Amino acid sequence: MNADRRHMILGLVAFFSVGISVATWTRAAAVRLAETQGKAPEVATASASDMGYCTGELKVILRRVLTSCGLAAGPGSRGCQPLQARQVASMSGGDFNALFAPLSERAAIIEFDKDSAELDAAGADLLERTFSDRRGASYFFVVSRASPEGSVEHNRDLSHRRGSAVLDHIRAKFQDPDIEQEVGLLWLGEEFAQLDQQFCQWRRSRAEGECTSADLNRSSFIAWIDCRL
Amino acid sequence: MPNAEGGQREAAAPPRKTLIVLAGFALAGVVFAGVSSYDFIAHLDRQVHAITCSIVPGIGPKDASGASGCHAVLMSPYSSVLRELTWGGIPIALPALGVFAFLLFRAIDLLWRKRLLRRETQFMIAAAALPVLTSIIYAIISATQIGTFCKVCVGIYVASLGVFAAAIVAHVRAGAAEADPSGKSSSLGLWAFYFVEGVALVALPVLLYLVLKPAYADSLLRTSGLRHPEDKYGVMLDTRGGGQVPAIEVLDPLCPACKSFSERLAASGLGEQLQVKYVLFPLDKECNWMVNESLHAGSCAVSEALLCAGERANAVLSWAFANQDDLRARGGGSQSAVYARIKQVFPELAGCVGQPAVRARVNKSLRWIVANSLPVLTPQLFVRNQKVPDEDTDLGLDFVLSRVLAQGAAAEVRR
Repeated sequence: MNADRRHMILGLVAFFSVGISVATWTRAAAVRLAETQGKAPEVATASASDMGYCTGELKVILRRVLTSCGLAAGPGSRGCQPLQARQVASMSGGDFNALFAPLSERAAIIEFDKDSAELDAAGADLLERTFSDRRGASYFFVVSRASPEGSVEHNRDLSHRRGSAVLDHIRAKFQDPDIEQEVGLLWLGEEFAQLDQQFCQWRRSRAEGECTSADLNRSSFIAWIDCRL
Repeated sequence: MPNAEGGQREAAAPPRKTLIVLAGFALAGVVFAGVSSYDFIAHLDRQVHAITCSIVPGIGPKDASGASGCHAVLMSPYSSVLRELTWGGIPIALPALGVFAFLLFRAIDLLWRKRLLRRETQFMIAAAALPVLTSIIYAIISATQIGTFCKVCVGIYVASLGVFAAAIVAHVRAGAAEADPSGKSSSLGLWAFYFVEGVALVALPVLLYLVLKPAYADSLLRTSGLRHPEDKYGVMLDTRGGGQVPAIEVLDPLCPACKSFSERLAASGLGEQLQVKYVLFPLDKECNWMVNESLHAGSCAVSEALLCAGERANAVLSWAFANQDDLRARGGGSQSAVYARIKQVFPELAGCVGQPAVRARVNKSLRWIVANSLPVLTPQLFVRNQKVPDEDTDLGLDFVLSRVLAQGAAAEVRR
């Protein structure tokens, strides 16, 4: 074969090989791009957690508590006292406590001295650790109680002060601008949903000490709730 | 075409074995440059693709994780040129493909010759010097700027050296047989013709690529902004960048893509126009409930360190980027190992990391992400509250960011 012709044929082969390859790859990318445009990307969207224990029943109670007992519920609505709490929950004290059973890993019981609403160091520490372990939870419940010694009115007031002490400490320590929207506060005095001995197994600020029913109820029960409403 | 075989009296028989070796190296170069071009061009669809990262293309699995040196090089600002003019720029492998195709074509052409002139091999040496020079430059860039080598690129470097060495040997052998007393003008004419052929073979794939590549639709830039860009939780890290254009970058300090993104942004020069604030989004299940598995183990602890560092956050971030592999490995063992390393390097943060207050701040950072309903991925960039599409934060960054900045500047002028 003539050298010039061979050179030309080889050159054409090189040009066509390179050209066809690049053209094919580029057009294939363009076709794929056209096919994917307008389709939503398959990436999860960031959201608060919604754990398996968030049953319809729990969500109903949650919604009622936050509406009626949340700090942002409206003027003068600064939590729920025992009678309101009973109405809001629309259930017995035992059933009310049972709602929190799935939260054993997330909840803590901040214990107080008898007839006192003063947070001790262990209580403050457990409170801080629990509050800072929020993860994806949307709501924080503070349910304060008093043991049955003393008058009903006094215990109502005492449990209210215990709840307030917890709340004040959170406010001072964490400066959370959303606190009004995320905290549900109930103070139950001695009248509703007293904790029974099974809660001795839960995280308590005085875990080393004795755990009588009276000790358990001189407390604020705190828990992050991993439910989306 | 000038007849290269015209002066048969001055020419020797071609050293066929050497030319076969030369053609073999040129073919290897075609394959490596072709694979590299293919992988780059595949990304024009703005999707994520597994890429070839093997010294023997086709053997071994492709890299789908983005952990290989090939991925780092492909996504680096050095894998293409003219990135602000066209989405992704022109991949440097594309002209390389043309050069190696030309060298292969020339080698086969010479192989079939009955006689070989020295001026032919002289041109071959000159042509083969181009990929060698480019390979040296890119090897230095890989070592000093990217910090890793890509196997396919190494294949190109070897092919370049092989072609160059074979061309020299062919020249020596051709010259040893018989000198070439041909005139200077005819040599120049021949070289000019070959040069034009070479330029055409390099220009062809580049032009085809530019003509056929998908156009970037402006509609892709109409992305939603942040619903709540304000920093009500006080969790944004202010980098005190020198630019004027407000920007928010959502990042994970141990995410390799975030590190690469940061490098691309710096290399583009466009980052200098931005006043970037960082929002931390550690993809680590230790603190982030949105991931079932820790994609970047240890990043919760490092995020705490960044928030603790305050004005020194940039120094901590640079350290975290530089030590990502080590920190992720420690984080995969236990969180306390990451804390220990942080306290060792930044003793002033020892009283802050791991404490409830800073853990709550990391949580608030995640809540900022939730409040803005962002996708669970990093990095994400918002410029003047306009999102740079996630698909454009790698190869398309320079092109898209320059358009976003230009659009914003035009809007401000109209106001």
